[in-house]
Amino acid sequence: MASTGRRRFLRGAAAAPLALLARPPAAGATDYASAEEVFNAIDRREADAEGRLAAIARAVGGAEPFARSVAADDARHRVEREKLRRRLKLAASTPPVPPAKPDASLARLREVQQQLVHAHAEGLPALGDAGAVAVLARHMVDASRHLTVIDLWIEAEDVRG
Amino acid sequence: MCVAEVRREFVLRIARAAGVIPAVLGLIEGRGEALPRGDETDMAILDAALAIEHHAIAIYDAGLKRGLFPAGLRSYAVEFRGDHVGHRDTQVSISEERGGRPSEALSHYDLGPLEPGDAFVRQALQIEVAAQQAYTALISRIDTRDYLLSAAFILVDEVRHVTVWRRVLGLKIY
Repeated sequence: MASTGRRRFLRGAAAAPLALLARPPAAGATDYASAEEVFNAIDRREADAEGRLAAIARAVGGAEPFARSVAADDARHRVEREKLRRRLKLAASTPPVPPAKPDASLARLREVQQQLVHAHAEGLPALGDAGAVAVLARHMVDASRHLTVIDLWIEAEDVRG
Repeated sequence: MCVAEVRREFVLRIARAAGVIPAVLGLIEGRGEALPRGDETDMAILDAALAIEHHAIAIYDAGLKRGLFPAGLRSYAVEFRGDHVGHRDTQVSISEERGGRPSEALSHYDLGPLEPGDAFVRQALQIEVAAQQAYTALISRIDTRDYLLSAAFILVDEVRHVTVWRRVLGLKIY
């Protein structure tokens, strides 16, 4: 289930000393040191997820509206992140290179989308700016919604066999 | 009153009933610019968040005990109740570590008519939307890194709950 990892983190956190709470939720998770690192990680993962979803949408009938909706949200997020980069005096983003031949599997898309959500969640504490936290938290809400749509999509595919 | 105002009023009603301080109510209403970031604000946010988590657990408990969720959706209800229990326990722990006295669940919740089927899913959706809106409104005022990280993952869960219930009810999810 999609939230199992998060729930494990939260339940573990409840039983752990406070100092352990800031530990990343899973092996391989990132403890970001700066806002620039956070923005760069989000840029990369967003481009990766969007490229994979576009590839799936080209191959699977009926996925186009979702892919278009995600692309529109991502475009809006990129504009807002660029504004934040300027305000926080960070270097402008360099357009990430999407995978040349992305794996068009839903499972891999889900994995990459989850990494995007985690980059937002784990990145918020590194931003050091309430306005930036507010903006990226709203972006995280969209990314989490997309992740859940992908989960429901995978569940529907499983039911269909 | 538009839908957004009705939802905001629902969040505020829960928070007021739990004794959440006016400054945090103001943040939820979108007019809390003057509230300083710091330990005191974190504790007030923890109180507001706990009020919502207690309320959500009460709704899922009622729905699960009385069999109000439609057949086939019980597993989601069990999962989401588990998430809210995790959110509650995490935030109780954070509050206690800082010497706070986290608010307990009320002895009684006015949950309304408790009708089965889609009507109850709508009721569950209402508290999930309230939770999502409250965490979204409050998260940027959280001062400490550990609580901010926890709140971020809690918000991710709330979005999942909202999205699933909206899908179940045939509402737009993208």
